[in-house]
Amino acid sequence: MKTLLIGEYREGKLLDTTYELFGYAGQLGAETALFLVGSESQLPAFGGTLYLADALACGEYNPDLHKQLVLDAVQKENPDQIVFLHSSYGWDLAPRVAASLRIAQISEVIAIQEGGFEVGCCNGKMRRSITPATHRAVITIQAGAFQGVQPGGTPQVVKLTAESTGTMEFLGYEPAEEKGVDLSKAEVIVSAGRGIGKKDNVPVIAALAKALGGELGASRPVVDAEWVAHDHQVGTTGQTVSPKLYVACGISGAIQHLAGMKKSDFIIAINKDKDAPIGEVADVLVVADVMQFVPALTARLAR
Amino acid sequence: MNFELSQDHKVLQSAVRDFVEKEIKPIAMKIDEDHMIPDTLVTKMSEMGLMGSYFPEEYGGAGLDMLSYAIVVEEVSKACGSSGVLISAHTSLANGPIYTFGTEEQKQKWLPNLNSGAKIGCFLLTEPNAGSDAGGTATMYKREGNEFVINGGKIFITNGGYLGTGILFASFDRSLKHKGISAFIVDLQSPGVTILKNENKMGIRGSYTTAFAFDNLRVPVENLLGKEGKGFNIAMDTLNGGRIGIASQALGIAEGAFERALAYSKERKQFDQAICEFQAIQFKLADMYARIETSKLMIYKAAWMKDNKMNYTMESAMCKMLASEAATYVTKEAMQIFGGYGFICDYEIERMYRDAKITEIYEGTNEVQRVVISKMLLA
Amino acid sequence: MKILVCIKQVPDLESRFKPDAAGVWFSDTDLAFRMNEYDEYAVEQAVRLREQLGDSAELTVLSIGPDRVVEAVKKALAMGCDRAVHVQDTAVHLKDPWQIASIIAAYAGDQGFDLIFTGMQSQDRGSAQVGVSLAEQLGVACATTLVGFEYADGAITAKRELEGGIKGVVKLRTPVLVTCQLGLNTPRYPTLPNIMKAKRKEITAIPVAELLKEEARTTATSFHHPAKKGSGLILEGDVGDLVEKVIGILKEKTSVLR
Repeated sequence: MKTLLIGEYREGKLLDTTYELFGYAGQLGAETALFLVGSESQLPAFGGTLYLADALACGEYNPDLHKQLVLDAVQKENPDQIVFLHSSYGWDLAPRVAASLRIAQISEVIAIQEGGFEVGCCNGKMRRSITPATHRAVITIQAGAFQGVQPGGTPQVVKLTAESTGTMEFLGYEPAEEKGVDLSKAEVIVSAGRGIGKKDNVPVIAALAKALGGELGASRPVVDAEWVAHDHQVGTTGQTVSPKLYVACGISGAIQHLAGMKKSDFIIAINKDKDAPIGEVADVLVVADVMQFVPALTARLAR
Repeated sequence: MNFELSQDHKVLQSAVRDFVEKEIKPIAMKIDEDHMIPDTLVTKMSEMGLMGSYFPEEYGGAGLDMLSYAIVVEEVSKACGSSGVLISAHTSLANGPIYTFGTEEQKQKWLPNLNSGAKIGCFLLTEPNAGSDAGGTATMYKREGNEFVINGGKIFITNGGYLGTGILFASFDRSLKHKGISAFIVDLQSPGVTILKNENKMGIRGSYTTAFAFDNLRVPVENLLGKEGKGFNIAMDTLNGGRIGIASQALGIAEGAFERALAYSKERKQFDQAICEFQAIQFKLADMYARIETSKLMIYKAAWMKDNKMNYTMESAMCKMLASEAATYVTKEAMQIFGGYGFICDYEIERMYRDAKITEIYEGTNEVQRVVISKMLLA
Repeated sequence: MKILVCIKQVPDLESRFKPDAAGVWFSDTDLAFRMNEYDEYAVEQAVRLREQLGDSAELTVLSIGPDRVVEAVKKALAMGCDRAVHVQDTAVHLKDPWQIASIIAAYAGDQGFDLIFTGMQSQDRGSAQVGVSLAEQLGVACATTLVGFEYADGAITAKRELEGGIKGVVKLRTPVLVTCQLGLNTPRYPTLPNIMKAKRKEITAIPVAELLKEEARTTATSFHHPAKKGSGLILEGDVGDLVEKVIGILKEKTSVLR
């Protein structure tokens, strides 16, 4: 089994998440080669073949061109699987590669199974097992589903170039909105999710955060509804956090949220739904009405 | 025979449900506490087209049907009984009689502003001594040139506080009882209209219930609705349609309470099991649900009959009676399921319990509904 | 200008899911269905563009599935789409993303759409493949995960949402396909008058057999609940008892109460 792993590079830096691809390949017991549109000055810690195109010449985001480069690497390497991260780069590029190669694509793999793959569905509540109908397949793996592994070593670089194709002009990056609260340094985070019901209930969650000496966090729907400011958002489009204690209040646990908090040392979730996906990462799932339980816990802590 | 909503009705139902979920449910408790539906919500409901659902598009209505209207009031009332009755009283009791009994000129003049929600409508029938017996109307009018001059007073006027457009009933000769009554379309911003008070109530506290005095209120003759002396017939016909609205409000309140009670019965654990595992609770849930579904079927049938131009007097009386009694029953049982928590204001059940009661009383008490039903049975 | 927006009807994600008889997808009895949330952003953006361009534009909404998907289609019409295409398919859940894209491509191929909007992914299946695959099959440019969209003079400027809240800004010339992310806009409510107007809009029904030419490239073999992590403790019961238990756990397992 041979895999071609598609690494990621942004704003002049190799992204750490690239190493999760090696975690996946390791579980598969596969040979690995890496593809990257990056820079020779930022080589990954990997001793195998690196198909490298220059990001300055090819652009960090230019899917038509990157597709040509990947196809070139596929031809040279002849892999059984082309493996992407399920990320804004990966889910954008992978279907283009799969379409060109006329092969199966399986998205957001969370586990390898006998003869196929397990993927999430229904907002992370359920799972499906998927089998590719073609021998060769394009895979995208869920962020955080496979532990990152740094293989170590220095790669043998095979340089790739491609003629620029121009359906898209990249105009640049816009920074994330100002972060007033730095949740990444907080030891305790108590987060509010849609399950708190309404904006008026946010202070109840904030009061528990205060009682535990921590910060208020929030899931995306709560921020989108403007119940809580964006700088409190935990998740892939907010902040990734790893406090000593994370308390999820009325958060069902969309994958994007889980990816942002599952590295917390200890997770307590309060949810009415025993089957909520948050239960998968929680050390303790308290099955209760948030608006009954949280004030009671805060009151008890005050004693 | 088909008991399923059409796709168009389902689209409408889910659109209104989304609107209510986002715009009304989060502020329902505040509406009750403040005794006031915020103007911003009235504007949003108007923009959504909730204020003229079943009137033709040429008069600024949405052009839908009576069943759509019933669904609108039901969905809104699941979250907020006050907002439900605002729509119901406005649509059935003001837009309704103008559309049914108005001349083409009157429809063109008054309906667009009512259907768009620019003016909120109300129905001025009840007086201190004329409730179920409208024949006792003591508000009097007389003609002076091209005007009618009205003197008297009305009480318990839903939506009165908005001072929009009213359908006002007055008599030219008390001795003629109900045959002396005529109906007028009145701009309540006119001189001679005074609000005596907005009542403080047990339930539907966000809804205005207004007492008015009329002191030489001058109304142009072209504002006479229907013929002189036919006001009582207009009132009775209007209330027929209105009963579908109130029944839908009651149904919504019942469904709102039931949904919460059902969910709570699955969450709440006592003696190491969810309380819905106990037969005592199961029986309550079964009784509640059966009454809700019975009411719903009767409301939808009455609406369907009206849409199909059939005589729906008996069905509208039955649906109002059934749904309002379902509402008081279901909210009472919901509170029992919630136990002590239900009695606490944070859980909304106590509000629904308070909101439900009026549905047995207004737009014809349930005793009057029984009179209507039995009269038709024995006719 | 011709605009297409592709939508999917999905179950309410708050529902409890049970496998269907074949065990490869959920059983749809007792589920309430609605328009995929990402597609609502797509419809809203398409309608805004339609309004921007006025009557020189025509906006078509397309959905594939059984009769019930017409409810989602009618909602899109009520939000402002001009006409609709319903590709009738009672077995849509058995098609893979490549096939779904190929069905749409077979319809759109000779229609000359200048702009195609899709959701970034569906809430139920979440493969994020259909939009991009469709663009590839049609040979048009494509940008995914949009949180910003502007159109002027045959070109769009799009903001793509990247990890960590950073945005990548790109410019593309039509024909182009974009996939829409949460937060792109606030979808409007279909108002009652517009629901009425939608009743008069044309819905063209096309049996899927007329459009499906591709074999599936993946097969679903199972639909199931996630394996429980095992180590997680589930606490249920009276709130007062729960609070005491959690306090005990906080003292024992964490340092936050010390």
